Amino acid sequence: MTGSRQAVMDRIRAGLGGVVEDGAGRSASLKRDYRQHGTLDAEKKIALLIERLHEYDAEVAECAEPELPATIAAQIARSGRRVLVAPSGLPAAWLVKGADWRVDHELTHAQIEEAEGVVTASFCGVADSGTIVLHHSPSEGRRVLTLLPDWHLCVLRTRDVVETLPEYFARCAEPPRLATYISGPSATADIEMTRIKGVHGPRFLSVVLVRDDG
Amino acid sequence: MSAPAQHPILDPAAAPPFPAAALPVLRNAQLRKNVAHATDVIQGKRNRLVAEKTDWTELRESASAIRAHTLEHLGEYLAEFEERCTLAGGVVHWAADAGEAREIILRILQEEKADEVIKIKTMTSAEIQLNPFLRQNGVRAYETDLAEIILQLGEDEPSHVVVPALHVNRAQVREIFARTMNLPELSDDPQALTAAARTYLRKMFLTVPTAISGANYLIAETGGVAIVESEGNGRMCLTLPRTMITLAGIEKVIPRFRDLEVMLQVLARSATGERMNPYTSLWTGVTPGDGPQHFHVVLLDNGRSAMLRREMERQTLKCIRCGACMNTCPVYRQTGGHAYGSVYPGPIGAILTPQLQKLEHAQTLPYASSLCGACYDVCPVKINIPEVLIDLRAQVTEKERAEDRRFFDPIYVGMRVANWVFASAGRFRLAQRAARLGLRLFTRKDGWIHALPGVGGRWTMTRDLRGLPQQTFREWWAKERGR
Repeated sequence: MTGSRQAVMDRIRAGLGGVVEDGAGRSASLKRDYRQHGTLDAEKKIALLIERLHEYDAEVAECAEPELPATIAAQIARSGRRVLVAPSGLPAAWLVKGADWRVDHELTHAQIEEAEGVVTASFCGVADSGTIVLHHSPSEGRRVLTLLPDWHLCVLRTRDVVETLPEYFARCAEPPRLATYISGPSATADIEMTRIKGVHGPRFLSVVLVRDDG
Repeated sequence: MSAPAQHPILDPAAAPPFPAAALPVLRNAQLRKNVAHATDVIQGKRNRLVAEKTDWTELRESASAIRAHTLEHLGEYLAEFEERCTLAGGVVHWAADAGEAREIILRILQEEKADEVIKIKTMTSAEIQLNPFLRQNGVRAYETDLAEIILQLGEDEPSHVVVPALHVNRAQVREIFARTMNLPELSDDPQALTAAARTYLRKMFLTVPTAISGANYLIAETGGVAIVESEGNGRMCLTLPRTMITLAGIEKVIPRFRDLEVMLQVLARSATGERMNPYTSLWTGVTPGDGPQHFHVVLLDNGRSAMLRREMERQTLKCIRCGACMNTCPVYRQTGGHAYGSVYPGPIGAILTPQLQKLEHAQTLPYASSLCGACYDVCPVKINIPEVLIDLRAQVTEKERAEDRRFFDPIYVGMRVANWVFASAGRFRLAQRAARLGLRLFTRKDGWIHALPGVGGRWTMTRDLRGLPQQTFREWWAKERGR
């Protein structure tokens, strides 16, 4: 701690006129009448997610659990990419043949930059906004893994798809230490509000939806 | 291409008064066209996405309540943030003013032996005029947001808090990039211009070991920081370097992680008209093996704590910098951002800047509004901007009245005279008669006054005044129903 902590704190307290300091507990009781829970049935929820992902030009492939490795292989083949990085905790079955895998055991930035793509799991998906949530667990990878390669293949299970953003927050028993929410590939509209895809993050997002919600 | 005649000044202490600064812009047709186009596009998207959100009113209510509650307990939440962030491996610094914040950041950079630093767009760093200070002290700061690159390479200043280069069009961007990146063949296609920026920055991201960011939210509960963005330059800066410095105003804190479920929903819709911005990043202190291993947060006061005293002014600090008030403001839409002489333009700037300046500068900004209330309607955290504008106008007037040199100012002389006249019925009747006689000289046949001499000319310069009727209401009443 450096600088003027005491001075700033004193000014804040003086400004607020010595309000009794017991706020922390009461933020939970603030009014929250917005939509907490979705209303769509399972099929419609997934359809909405797919629609949103398509709006972002993300590619979507669906499969059942047993077909997952084959679907990953097919998506990689379709992408025409070979050199791929994988998080250290990616299930071994997902490291399919046909790609040159670099598993992340302390890969350097330069090595990750050389890769053409990355395959990861995900924490959850939010249908309403088409958001993919990463908490950067061992199967989701360090943040840099899903940042430098130009193509991101992300596996999402339908049981991990929620309809609204508040439903995602309700799923977090503990707040994550790290998180990235991805809602479409990187984009800018800074020049005359013309939307341009692919500035710095991955330019191509491909989602494999695993149907595991019965 | 009509570039602004002179370099815009965004230091409220040095900037000209709003009417003087706005005049050249109003004559710059290209600039006005650029601003109108950009604000129309964002507003259209924002309105569409707000309309589809069935619980918008409730979200806005909660967002406002969360921000108001946080400010009422600001000291407590800052202390909680500091404790959690420190536990997670971050270092928290406190800066009472801009100068102190600049010194703290420079000292960290010097300890890192850094002569270069990459930056995520942060209006707070522009507020403390960080870049020129670092430059003077041998550190080159590179902006990485596309709009900020356009401004930095074009030696221009931001004119909006979300899309800072909205006043520049593609031809102007092409000219700047072609000249500064040495790309004479570059086309003015936004795709090509964006690709040029990507190439220009890629190596920088991979090699510069220190970064500076702002913060959208500081989370008290976890000590974490949240940044929302679109391009991925933010993720690059907060993931690849060895050292990360986050500069944040003390008002940026929110109580709990879960509060993001409200703030993120209202921010993206209001700022860019998206359901969610492409990338949101959250990090907490330092995580071994992932991202920067040195992390500093600089908490900046710089006039904010003085705004806590009265509830009226305190609401200004609820702002989440979405820029919706700018896009909808009939004044901003005509003048663009530079006329406000501050990095915070538009309606929110008109109330924030004078308060940050303790009304010593920027006294004309509270008048840069028609008080139409459009800004209040769109504000996602329900800041009653018109109410604060009126309150600040009263404060400016009180302050001016107290100044000796204002004693003979025609406006104040007029007000004192009016006060004296209105205080007595006899004097008021006399004045009415005198005015009727006096104004008859200037009333044309059509019953209108088109030009008045002296101070009155300031009114008739832009509008006509109806001549006074032959009879006042009281006279008419006395005659018709009299006795």
